[in-house]
Amino acid sequence: MRRSGAETALSLGVLALGIGVAAVTATLPSEGGYAGIGPNFIPAVVAAGIILLGLWLVFEAFSGGWRGAVPDDAAERGEHAFNAAAFGWVSAGLFLQMALIGWAGFVVSAAVLFACVARGFGSRRLVRDAAIGLVMALGIFLFFVKLLNVNLPAGWLAPLLGGAGI
Amino acid sequence: MDALSALLHGFSVALQPMNLLWGFIGVTLGTFVGVLPGVGPALTVAMLLPLTVKLDPTGALIMFAGIYYGAMFGGSTTTILLNTPGESASIATALEGNRMAKAGRAGPALATSAIGSFVAGTLATIGLTALAPLVVNLALKFGPAEYFALMVFAFTTVAAVLGSSTVRGLTSLFLGLLLGLVGIDSQTGQSRFAFGVPELLDGVDVVVLAVGLFAVGEALYVASYQSRLTETMEKMKGSLLMSASDWRRSWPAWLRATAIGFPFGTIPAGGAEIPTFLSYATEKKLTKHPEEFGKGAIEGVAGPEAANNAAATGVLVPLLTLGIPTSATAAILLGAFQNYGLQPGPLLFETQKDLVWGLIASLYVGNVILLVLNLPLIGIWVKVLEIPRDLLYAGILVFATLGAYSLHQSWVDLLTLYVFGLLGFAMRRWDIPVGPAVIGLILGPLAETQFRRALSISQGDPSVFVTQPISATLLVITAALIVMPFVVRHWGRLRRKPA
Repeated sequence: MRRSGAETALSLGVLALGIGVAAVTATLPSEGGYAGIGPNFIPAVVAAGIILLGLWLVFEAFSGGWRGAVPDDAAERGEHAFNAAAFGWVSAGLFLQMALIGWAGFVVSAAVLFACVARGFGSRRLVRDAAIGLVMALGIFLFFVKLLNVNLPAGWLAPLLGGAGI
Repeated sequence: MDALSALLHGFSVALQPMNLLWGFIGVTLGTFVGVLPGVGPALTVAMLLPLTVKLDPTGALIMFAGIYYGAMFGGSTTTILLNTPGESASIATALEGNRMAKAGRAGPALATSAIGSFVAGTLATIGLTALAPLVVNLALKFGPAEYFALMVFAFTTVAAVLGSSTVRGLTSLFLGLLLGLVGIDSQTGQSRFAFGVPELLDGVDVVVLAVGLFAVGEALYVASYQSRLTETMEKMKGSLLMSASDWRRSWPAWLRATAIGFPFGTIPAGGAEIPTFLSYATEKKLTKHPEEFGKGAIEGVAGPEAANNAAATGVLVPLLTLGIPTSATAAILLGAFQNYGLQPGPLLFETQKDLVWGLIASLYVGNVILLVLNLPLIGIWVKVLEIPRDLLYAGILVFATLGAYSLHQSWVDLLTLYVFGLLGFAMRRWDIPVGPAVIGLILGPLAETQFRRALSISQGDPSVFVTQPISATLLVITAALIVMPFVVRHWGRLRRKPA
C-alpha cells in the first residue's frame, strides 16, 4: 500500500485551514436584516466545506494514498529530483525584489529578480543576465510610465529618468 | 433583426481606428505571450491585464478580445513545435501536431491550425451573435435564486466533474471561495479575513491569484524539477502551404469541430478540454487515413484546433449574457470587466450596448487580424520559441511582479504573489487543479450576493431555492453530478461481488 508523507501533511493542512476558517468565522457578526443570514453565513459554509474536504483527503491519504495522484518518484514523471538551489534562487529573487522595489526602484529590483531567476534556471552568466534584465526592465518602465500612465517607482534611477514614475 | 442592427452598430464601434489599433495590439501581444512555452491563455490574459488600466473600457475590452484569441493561437504554435501543451485543451493538438512537425510537416500543421482557428472562430462568433440575445431574453426573467443555482451548477461541473479527482477539484474550488471572502462584505461593510491589512481590505485580486498560481508557481516548479533537462524543438521545415489534399482533409474537420466545440463552450463544462478530445476522437473515427493517426494526421490537428477556438468563443456566451465564467481565462476576463465597474449579464446588453456589441464585432475583426497577422509572422513566432529557458522565465517573472505591484504600489502584493506561487507549486506537484480556485475567487462573491439577495426577497425563507422550478432543477442536477460517481462505483462493486 502506497503512503506519502507529503500527501498526509497536505491533507492535515487543509483540515487545519478549515478549522482556522471556522475559528475566524466565529468572530464575525451574524445579524442579517431581511435575509435572516449575516456576513458569517457563507464563511461558515466554506469552513464546513474545507473541513469535510480535509477529512476526505486525510481518509484517502491513509487508505492507499490520494486517488489518481502523480507518481512521487521524479523519474517516473519524466523530471529530475527536486533541485533545492533552483527553488532557492527563484525565491531569493522574488524576496530581493520585494525588499528593493520601494527604494531602489522598479528597474533595479527587476534586474536583480531577472538575474536571480536566470541563475535558478542554471545560467552561469551573471553579468549578461543582469544586463539583459536591466535593459528589459528599463524598456518596460518607460513603456508603462510614459505611454500607459501606470505609476512605477523610479528609485535610484530617478535622476536619470527625469522625473518619470514616482 | 434586432441583433443584426445592433451588430452593425457594433462594427461601427470596432472599426474606429483607435479600437482597431487596440485589437491589433491585443492580437499581437496575445500571440507573442501565448507562444512562450509554459504560458497558457489564462496567464497571458492575467499578465497583460495591467496594460489596460488607463484605457477606456471599450478599447480595453476590444484589446482583451484580441489577447484572448491571440493567446489561444500562440499556445497551439508552441504545442505543435515543442510538444509541451501549455494547457489541457492543447493536449489533443499535441498528439498529431507534434508528430507532423517531426515528420517535417510543421508548416501545414501550423497553417491548418491558423486557418481552422479562423473558420471556427468566425462561425462560433456568428453563433454567439445569434444566441446571445436569446439567452439575454431568458436571463432577464431570472431572479437571484436562479442565478445562485446556476452559479452553483457552474462551480460543480468545473471543480468536481472535470479533472482527475473530485476531492482535489473541490478543494481547489473552496480555496478560491475562501480567498473570495477576503475583504469588505459588499452587503454590510463588515471586514472579513483581512486581519487589519489594508491591502487585503480590497479583496484578493484575480490578477495576483492567477499570476501567482500560473506564473510564479510554474516558474518555481519548472526550476525545481525540469530546469536541468534538455528539450528539443522541431525545426520549421518546408513550405507553409497546405497541399490540395491537406485542404480536402482539413475543412470537414474544421466544420465538425465547430459544431462540437461551440455548444460545449456555452455550457459550464470547463471550457475547451472535452470538445478538443471529442473532436480528435471523431476525426480518428471518420478518417479515410486511419494508418496516419499517431504518426501525424492533419485531421487530428485541424479538428482539435478548430474545436478549441469554437469553444473559446462559446465560453463568451455565458460570460457576456449571464456574467458566469466557465473557464479560468473567462474568470480573469470577468475580472477585467469588474475593474471598470461593469458587471456582465443581461443588463449590460441594455445599459452598455456600444460596449457589448463593439466587443462582439471586434471578435469578428480579431479573427481576421489573427489570420492575416499569423500566417506571415509564423517565422517570428518560431524565433520567440528559441529564447533560452533561463531568460524566458526571468522575463515572465519580471512581468508577473509588475502586474501585481502596479495594483497598489505595495510590496505586500508581491508577498501575496509569492504565497500564491508556493500554493501553485504545491498544487502542480500534487496534481490539484488551479482553474477551480480562480473561478471560485471570481464567482464566489457573486454567488454569495445572489444567495443573500434571494433570501432578502423571501424574508429569510430558504425554500425559494427549491420551489422555483429552474433553480430547483439546476440544484438537483448539481447534487446528482456530485453523488452519481459514488453511487455508480458502489453499485458496480455490489453487483460484482456475488459473481
